[in-house]
Amino acid sequence: MLIEQAAYANRWRAISPAAKGLFAAAGFVAVFAAGRPLTAALVAGGLALLTVVGAGIPAARYLRVAAPALFFLALGSLSLAFSLDVSAGAPHWRLAPGGLDQLAETGSRSLGALAALLFLVLTTPLSDLIGLLRRLKAPELLLDIMVLCYRTLFVFSAAVHDTLTAQSARLGYATPRLALRSLGQLAANLTLQVWQRAAALHVAAQARNNDGPLCFLTPDFADSRRHCALAGLAGLALISLAVSLR
Amino acid sequence: MNDCLLELQQVSYRYPDGSLGLNDCSLAIRRGSRNVLIGANGAGKTTLFQHANGLLRPQTGVVRYAGAAVDYGRAGLRRLRSRVGLVFQNPDRQLFSASVAEDVSFGPLNLGLDTASVRRRVADALAAVGMGEFGGRPVHNLSFGQKKRVCIAGVLAMQPELLILDEPMAGLDHAMQQELLAVLDKLHGRGITLLLATHDIDFAYRWAERIHLMAAGRCTATLAAGELGSHGAELAAVGLPLPEIITLQRALAGQGLLPAGARPRCAADLLAALNQTKESPCQFALI
Repeated sequence: MLIEQAAYANRWRAISPAAKGLFAAAGFVAVFAAGRPLTAALVAGGLALLTVVGAGIPAARYLRVAAPALFFLALGSLSLAFSLDVSAGAPHWRLAPGGLDQLAETGSRSLGALAALLFLVLTTPLSDLIGLLRRLKAPELLLDIMVLCYRTLFVFSAAVHDTLTAQSARLGYATPRLALRSLGQLAANLTLQVWQRAAALHVAAQARNNDGPLCFLTPDFADSRRHCALAGLAGLALISLAVSLR
Repeated sequence: MNDCLLELQQVSYRYPDGSLGLNDCSLAIRRGSRNVLIGANGAGKTTLFQHANGLLRPQTGVVRYAGAAVDYGRAGLRRLRSRVGLVFQNPDRQLFSASVAEDVSFGPLNLGLDTASVRRRVADALAAVGMGEFGGRPVHNLSFGQKKRVCIAGVLAMQPELLILDEPMAGLDHAMQQELLAVLDKLHGRGITLLLATHDIDFAYRWAERIHLMAAGRCTATLAAGELGSHGAELAAVGLPLPEIITLQRALAGQGLLPAGARPRCAADLLAALNQTKESPCQFALI
């Protein structure tokens, strides 16, 4: 929901998704082209700053969205830096040979990749991204699944909320035992709803003459070419900077 | 041109689980008319609508559109569904695209139209339901009433001749109902034939030209709305009372406050008739 809210309410909402995708891709390339971890970290910081200041995403929201990924990145980095030594006596943790270098390199690149990805998803609604993928000739089946999953995510989030409220109103979560039972019933109920809703959507699609892939109009963006050219130039500048700071 | 747009002749349908859908049901919808299908829950209204759109195929009987029996081949169904638009009761079961304009474009794209025509139709359909500014909005951020309007736009964009709405007023507050009625009036003004399902006999009397009564999978009567007052028995047979406005008009006529021939269809008509009566010196004398 946080990503969704930011994607629909940022300064760059009206910018062509192709331009934003191009710049994010350049961000990925720049991070991996950077010779030193510090350069990759600088690129990551630049991308994050651009997302917060340029697109107007509140810093607190940015950090909340990034937090789970940062947590996993920290866990992964620690496992790279330290290793379990069982050779002498009781097993103990020790710094792996070359661990810090590896930590700096992998950590900074991952941070940069995360910043590039967040730049794209926090400034572009998923429906626009799906439109972009459609233009890029991504497989129809994959796009159909993305469309349906994205829409049903909100439908089921509402269904879960309603069922939880109804259960809580009748003391469904009053004790741990009752809570477990209520959760089981919620899961069973949702399974049934998934099946029913899938059937209903199929009927609704047929009623509007559908007998094949789900086709939708791709949104039109004004000045798309100019935005893509600017994003391309900015991306090239970013990559050049990353390469030149070796 | 055939005056009868949609016709069901002795159609029966039973669902795979054995429950009854339609039972020897016959119904005719005139071109350009405003129709209401009224009946209790489980009377078969939704099943009838799904037959009209070709989603269900009668097990016995015939469905005719514009005089010709429906062709259930791929091309025939395509033709039928482009002319008969069906709006479902629950918008969350009809809308499956993330953004409003995308969802509205779904039907026209299925008709095989080019992108420019689809964009034009999407803009026109959204404007027709007063949602012109909402094209780029995500569907899940809309209110229930707005979702209903997007559903109607999604069907309107296919430019149907017959628009069927399954209980369109369900779940809408008074203001939303009035907005939706204004939209429907506008569509009727454009020559679209309308068929609505409802439980509300007062609304049916106020809005429709023809009222079709349904019970136990069968259309038991088709009545001209203006003559509903003399068909109390038919209404009672499907568990419906006379519209309140008729009961009130009769009581007022009994008191001499309204002429017996007055046929107000809504409270506003009744008030106008009462004011007119007051202003008339001869009626004043009666009071």
